Amino acid sequence: MAASMTVSRAVRWLGAAARRATPPGARAASGLTKDMLPGPYPRTPEERAAAAKKYNMRVEDYEPYPDEGFGYGDYPKLPDRSQHERDPWYDWDHSELRLNWGEPMHFDFDMYTRNRVDTSPTAVSWNTMCKHFFGFLGFMMFMFWLGEMYPCYQPVGPKQYPYDNLYLERGGDPNKKPEPVIHYEI
Amino acid sequence: MSKYVPSRLATLPQTLDPAEYDTSSEVRRAQNERLAIRARLKRQYLLQYDNPHRRGIIEDPALLRWTYARTANVYPNFRPTPKTSFLGAVFGIGPLFFWYYVFKTDRDRKEKLIQEGKWERPLSITY
Repeated sequence: MAASMTVSRAVRWLGAAARRATPPGARAASGLTKDMLPGPYPRTPEERAAAAKKYNMRVEDYEPYPDEGFGYGDYPKLPDRSQHERDPWYDWDHSELRLNWGEPMHFDFDMYTRNRVDTSPTAVSWNTMCKHFFGFLGFMMFMFWLGEMYPCYQPVGPKQYPYDNLYLERGGDPNKKPEPVIHYEI
Repeated sequence: MSKYVPSRLATLPQTLDPAEYDTSSEVRRAQNERLAIRARLKRQYLLQYDNPHRRGIIEDPALLRWTYARTANVYPNFRPTPKTSFLGAVFGIGPLFFWYYVFKTDRDRKEKLIQEGKWERPLSITY
């Protein structure tokens, strides 16, 4: 208990030290003021309304990430939908990103672009796809395993070589007479 | 035919979603408010876009907020909780110990085989 308290105090001291170390007069390199940038988790309804207005959302639509200390702050939790799902025929401001100017971007926007993760509806539901795929794979693996356990092929015998079982080719003495090897019966 | 069940990576199509066919007045008012916000933003954007005296890019505050939230806003809002500490240990420190033990046991096994003279290195073209 005391150890975790000292750890959190140390963490906060580090944060305050980082803020103290910024040179005075440092400002964001854009036209945004501090209140228009994301901030900490909103606690009161007024803070929530202000945050919704800041992100250009309705107050009822605005839902921040739960405050579990993961570092989201007051950023809104938008539905996890990829850009693939957005209307391709609407006149978006950024056409390849299917995004409008000023629209709140998903926290994982770079994951949901049209080159990456696609959450659009599939022809068959996910469970059916999984069942079909793993069922087929499992069946094929089972059959191959069965074939390994119980091989079945045409009857074979050892290969029969001519010239007395290749006596000279195998390095036999040419002066000595090899014993005759006969592979047939009459 | 089985029912289509949505999942994390395959969402429900709009035509199967019952909320699409909900035409109650609250839903309509919400849609209209969202449309009004979108229209205002579109107007602001188009005024800047079509301004003949504009010389540079149009700054997008939503993009700047997104960038700020992903980079500079993470540490000030980080708090060491049991969950974050556990995840930090599992993903940050765990792999170090894990890979140390994996490589160490592999190297020790090879070293033992070499010492005993049983280390086989057949010719391989690919590596």
